Amino acid sequence: MAVTEDPGKPRNLAERVQRLQDRVYSAIFHNYVWQSIFRSGYPNTPRNQMLVVATNIFLHLHPTRIHRTHVKITHTYCLGGLTFFMFLILTVTGVLLMFYYVPSVDSAYQDIAALETNVKFGLLMRNMHRWTAHAMVILVFLHMMRVFYTGAYKPPREFNWVVGVILLVLTLVLSFTGYLLPWDQLALWAVTVGHGIGGSAPFFGDETQLIVFGGFEVGPSTLIRFYTLHVIALPIIAAVFMSVHFWRIRRDGGMARPL
Amino acid sequence: MAVETRAAAQPAAKARPRPKRQREEEVLVWPDLVFVEFIAAVVFTITFLMLSVFINAPLLNRANPELTPNPSKAPWYFLNLQELLLHMDKAWAGVLLPTIALGFFASIPYVDRSRAGQGVWFGSKHAVRLTLVSAAYSVIIVGALVSFDAGERTYAERLTRWIPSCNAEAQHQGTPCLQDAEGEEHTGLLSTKDISKRLEFSVPWPNFLGVDDSNLDWPRDLDRIPVPFNNICGNVGSFHLWCDMNLNIPSIMAEQVIPLSTVAGFAVAIIYVLFRVGWLRTKRDLFIVMFTAVLVAYLALSMVGSFFRGEGQNLIWPWEIKVDEG
Ligand code: HEM
Repeated sequence: MAVTEDPGKPRNLAERVQRLQDRVYSAIFHNYVWQSIFRSGYPNTPRNQMLVVATNIFLHLHPTRIHRTHVKITHTYCLGGLTFFMFLILTVTGVLLMFYYVPSVDSAYQDIAALETNVKFGLLMRNMHRWTAHAMVILVFLHMMRVFYTGAYKPPREFNWVVGVILLVLTLVLSFTGYLLPWDQLALWAVTVGHGIGGSAPFFGDETQLIVFGGFEVGPSTLIRFYTLHVIALPIIAAVFMSVHFWRIRRDGGMARPL
Repeated sequence: MAVETRAAAQPAAKARPRPKRQREEEVLVWPDLVFVEFIAAVVFTITFLMLSVFINAPLLNRANPELTPNPSKAPWYFLNLQELLLHMDKAWAGVLLPTIALGFFASIPYVDRSRAGQGVWFGSKHAVRLTLVSAAYSVIIVGALVSFDAGERTYAERLTRWIPSCNAEAQHQGTPCLQDAEGEEHTGLLSTKDISKRLEFSVPWPNFLGVDDSNLDWPRDLDRIPVPFNNICGNVGSFHLWCDMNLNIPSIMAEQVIPLSTVAGFAVAIIYVLFRVGWLRTKRDLFIVMFTAVLVAYLALSMVGSFFRGEGQNLIWPWEIKVDEG
């Protein structure tokens, strides 16, 4: 910061250290490049703390201030946020898996097997992707329960609750489409059970099997359909609904509070 | 528009204006919330890294359409639907009931419109006990129904073993009997579905009522009851409408009427009891009971599917499960 008055020579060691700290601080947070990225100063004053939230695209999902009860962990248990965090981890690990995976019945299984043995951290990425996927399903249910039992679906949040129900379905379908991709016995037969269930829809059974699964049995066309849905269509749709979900939380006046 | 209707619907809220936002009640998002979020993210990242280091995701043999594993199971969050398939018509189990459940969830806020009790956990007088009672009830009913239906070791099977085998030669069975598969040991009713498949009996019936041999045979005489005008056909796109439509009364009874009315009956019973006890008073209370019971049943059915279904989807103990992976 602009130094307004000349402080004179440092009188003792403590002052010397203090000056040095200020200079380093200034060099890091007040240089031209830093300030071109972050418009607000370091968030150590209330003003800057609000600015940093308001001017950062990721943080501005939040309001700048929030009611005291809502930061209590026992109010939300962070469940919605953690569901979203699982989605982020799944995106990152999923992209890494895509580098090694070709969605054809000839290569899919070998690709996964090779990923586990020949690729550095391949097994770890696959495990992360698998376990966080299960976690996301569990967390989305828990989040729905916390919203329900805190009565947070009540007016004016009706529509956001409906958006939530859609997100629940999307989460399940995302997980289910991913289940087929390793093309092992577990995958094939689990999806075959789902294929049967889809086929039992009244009036639209055959159509469901043809359109969603690409045929009357689970095969190559099912694999490519599920792959496309899993890696591009459903994540985009889910991201759109999540944006609406977060936007609506702000529009509906933040999280629900007692009257 | 929406705002206007709301205001009209809730004059009380207008009369008593909400107290002004109190700045003292608020905290800054940075650091108070961002910090919590950061810690939560770090804890979860470390947890899942550790989990992934120590536990590997399953990878079985390459998919082989020729070899069906026994049992083959859906992923756990759909296993509950697979479990329902054993007990009722597949369209109800796989499509209609889940759709109804989701529709019910989505409609909750449009029916329960009161703003009372929002923003706090279990914000109505009896919320906690309603939740606990309906969760326990749901587990017990699911457990009881499953232990009665579908499998070689169910109570229903044991209780109906006394029903004799059918006489293959006889033209009409008379008293109730059970068809046994050729060369198989005699068993009781393995599931409600057997009522329309293996259970047979006949009653004397006057000829002129559409039965031509003076005997009404279950299920043979009832499984193709023509729907009125079922010779009028229509094609809408690829759908064949109203062509040759026949009702299979025995299977409608066994796979739809009996299972669905059983479930509905148990649901109505608990709601009625809680109402009479005086705990269930508002729509919110009603929804607490329904929401809890549905979610707990969803979970309980998944558990049954995961841990209690073995070869041939028979009911077994978790430690007896062997999977023939094919
Ligand atoms: C992919 C799935 C989902 C994500 C990522 C998500 C994310 C979030 C987040 C971050 C919040 C802020 C508060 C919190 O963390 O609890 C929230 C609130 C909310 N969510 Fe979700 N959610 C999802 C699914 C659902 C579902 C399934 C429902 C209900 C059926 C739902 C209904 C709501 C409602 C009504 C609020 C406002 C809560 C309040 O005002 O206290 N969401 N969601």
